[in-house]
Amino acid sequence: MSAPADVRSDVSALAVDDVTLRFGGITALSEVSFTVEPGTVHALIGPNGAGKSSCFNVISGLYTPTAGRVRLGDLDLTGTAPHKLAALGVGRSFQNIALSPHSTVRDNVMLGRHVLTKGGFVTGGLRLPRTVRTERRHVARVEEICDFLGVADRLDVPVAALPYGDAKRVDIARALAVEPTILLLDEPAAGLNATETAEMGVTIRDLRDALGISVLLVEHDMGLVMGIADRVSVLDFGRLIADGPPAQVQSDPEVIRAYLGAEAE
Amino acid sequence: MNTFLQLVLNGLGKGAVYALLALGFVIIFKATEVVNFAHGSLVLIGGYFVYATKDALGWAGAAALGIVSAAVAALLIERLLITNARNADVNSLALLTIGVDVIVTEEIVRRLGADIPFVGDPYDALPLQFAGLTVFRTQLVALIVGIVLITAFFLAFRFSTWGVAMRAQAENKEAAALMGIRSSRVTATAWLLAGALAGVAVLFMATQDFSGAGLGRGTHAIALIAFPAAILGGLDSTVGAVVGGLIVGLTEALSAQYISFEFSKSAVFLVMLVILVIWPSGLFGTRELSRV
Amino acid sequence: MSDTLVETPVPVEPARKRRNWAKIAGVAALLVVLVFFPVITGTEVAYLKAGQYVLIGVVGAVGLTLLVGQAGQLSLAHPFFLLVGAVSYAVLAGDAGESGDLVGLGLPPLVAMIGAVAICALVGLAFAPVSGRLRGIYLGVASLSLVFLGLYLGQSLDMLSGGTSSGRPPPTFEVFGFRFANTEPAPTIMGVAIQKQQRLWYLFLVIAIGSYLLARGAVRSRVGRAWRAVRDNEAAATAMGVRVWWSKAQAFTVSSAFAGMAGVLTALWLDLVKPDENEFIGTYSITVAIGYLAMVLIGGLGSIPGAVAGAVVVNGLPQLLTLGATEFGWFASAGAGGLSPVLVSAFVYGAAIVLVVLFEPGGLAAIGRRLTSRQGDRR
Repeated sequence: MSAPADVRSDVSALAVDDVTLRFGGITALSEVSFTVEPGTVHALIGPNGAGKSSCFNVISGLYTPTAGRVRLGDLDLTGTAPHKLAALGVGRSFQNIALSPHSTVRDNVMLGRHVLTKGGFVTGGLRLPRTVRTERRHVARVEEICDFLGVADRLDVPVAALPYGDAKRVDIARALAVEPTILLLDEPAAGLNATETAEMGVTIRDLRDALGISVLLVEHDMGLVMGIADRVSVLDFGRLIADGPPAQVQSDPEVIRAYLGAEAE
Repeated sequence: MNTFLQLVLNGLGKGAVYALLALGFVIIFKATEVVNFAHGSLVLIGGYFVYATKDALGWAGAAALGIVSAAVAALLIERLLITNARNADVNSLALLTIGVDVIVTEEIVRRLGADIPFVGDPYDALPLQFAGLTVFRTQLVALIVGIVLITAFFLAFRFSTWGVAMRAQAENKEAAALMGIRSSRVTATAWLLAGALAGVAVLFMATQDFSGAGLGRGTHAIALIAFPAAILGGLDSTVGAVVGGLIVGLTEALSAQYISFEFSKSAVFLVMLVILVIWPSGLFGTRELSRV
Repeated sequence: MSDTLVETPVPVEPARKRRNWAKIAGVAALLVVLVFFPVITGTEVAYLKAGQYVLIGVVGAVGLTLLVGQAGQLSLAHPFFLLVGAVSYAVLAGDAGESGDLVGLGLPPLVAMIGAVAICALVGLAFAPVSGRLRGIYLGVASLSLVFLGLYLGQSLDMLSGGTSSGRPPPTFEVFGFRFANTEPAPTIMGVAIQKQQRLWYLFLVIAIGSYLLARGAVRSRVGRAWRAVRDNEAAATAMGVRVWWSKAQAFTVSSAFAGMAGVLTALWLDLVKPDENEFIGTYSITVAIGYLAMVLIGGLGSIPGAVAGAVVVNGLPQLLTLGATEFGWFASAGAGGLSPVLVSAFVYGAAIVLVVLFEPGGLAAIGRRLTSRQGDRR
């Protein structure tokens, strides 16, 4: 796909290590451990209420785990304030599109450059040549990212005017604009039709191959997960019940039981 | 000690009036999620009708008409404006009520002209002495009326069909609609009720005893004090509105005596600030105004 | 789709050549009118004063639209910061007064102006525990406390504010020895003497244009994007590295600084700093808070040009009607309780708020955009 020299070399493993999360008396996650290896697509799946979102929120800093750690290479992310994660190379997208509807695609994706840029009210307000030059460089990069995600022809369109599938891609573009080493995708296929889902799958693999970054996705669509994931972790009732390559996980009796059991309800 | 008791009684009387106003804010907020900045002008409308018809109808008749007119005015705001602005979000609707408030207030102040009448004839300026205490009769009547109305409201809120429907709607609009609860009737009733409470409140606000200020911009400014009452209790809590009203009334009365009269309104707002810094949704508020 | 997503050095692309000549011509024509406004009005200083008042509104409204429209926070505290700005200017530049019991530091007026704006920004920043934590309407009501506090402090701190009975005069503004006062002889432009009011017009114009450009620049840059992100989705803003509470507090601080500048200009315009006697009518009252909110709403929330249009309507209309009353005898038949210029303006902007929310949530800015039919939302 692209030359090896282009691939990022600073990507480290994301390790979820023995994480337990309790709310009051309820245990949402119980001693969950898995590792997202550098440059892989890793899927986190499980029936409804299995703890996927809780786990995702622990990694993205919204919840502090009761016990256990989350590490990115040598960095301990546990309990890090969520707004500090972007600067540490964690990019995330949202299940329900969380963009500014009235702002253009370019403006929305530019938000991803927040931690890569500097400047407050006065420096921004004065539009000094240096600020403008820097800004232009970042805009060029953002346009490149949008091109990669296939929304480059929509740069000047307000997000509210986009079809759902495109908005979803803009959300991912914004997460990529952070220049993450790990990309957290919260149900990237939710709300997409079959064709769009397939395209999304291709895009996720492409960006792993082109950038060499790791991707952790929480997803319901089994077709997508089994098609693109290098490794799959399965949660059920807050416990990790399987962790391995897609083919192995698919034939795991406990996984089958968890899913059939859930469907039988 | 006597001074203190007097202050507490007078403060509670004022607090009961603020509670009536704050309760109105909260009822409207629960039903429509709109913060009604036009509450002060509902107060003025009620007061204006009392003033204008007092000579012809007698005080009691005029007071009844005032309450009805404030209620109808609230209903009109809801029917004519709020329901017709379906595309606007709740924050824009709150701003819309500011526009309404400007127009109504200016018009009523213009109609009053140089007059700043008092509207509490039967009880105003007749201080009551007992057990060595001097109590403003207006505040005492306000306290009794407040207790009766607030109790009636909570009973209705708990047991009447409207109350159940209203609480269901505030919890979950879609589910309530599925259960056959007619959102538009619940909402209209909420505004009507809030208007009526404002109409009652003005009977005590535009008096010699309450503030010394007759009906006019001053009354409107007093109605603003009900904002801190509603907010510090929590905009979506009816209990919070009553507690907030009492806190505000007591703060005002005590700070006017022990610090200075000029400082008393600032004191109310400062108490609100402190509470909001600690509990950003107010004492009894259960959710934040906008959701993530 | 391109194959690679790896950062490559990008040649700095030339500025977008999408020049809109009609727009440039329009702006140029407007600038010419503004620059020659003192010549056009000639000896009719009342028109000039009306124009100055609109420019004050522009400075304040631009600041408020950043807070309300861009950052999604409501504030009714604008009059408080007008008061702090006006009093700070008088204290920093002023003297002890005739009676000798005023606090006056006697600093150069330009320093005092900058100092007054800085003080307002700091006071705004000190409100961060509130402004950074509360949302939308909650902040709106909380900010109302500042108006009441300002009223109380203005009345009780006579040595700073000059007190409600007489107030105190703001020192004449001065830049590098050039005084914004009447002089003999005065310089002339096309035969019109450039005296105090003409000079103040140019001062206000420069400050208003500066405020406009600063706000527009900020809106298009990093800080504006962060504000909009916080306004639209706090969780997403956080995930992109925005510190939400700071972003809110920052918007409040910036807005306070703009209001402070408008306060300094108000002092110069009135030639008087005097605290109000009550909270509902006066230079620093709730009425003014609502007036500024009306400007921002009528103009279209978050739009900088819209804020300017709103200032023209809300601050310009009563001035224009007052001029009509004195020059042409409008409202002559109205006695007490009749229509007055202020009353009519209040009706107009009250109705405008209602109509904007009902029919055109984008305000005048959206109407303008549609008329010039430009795509996208530049805000």
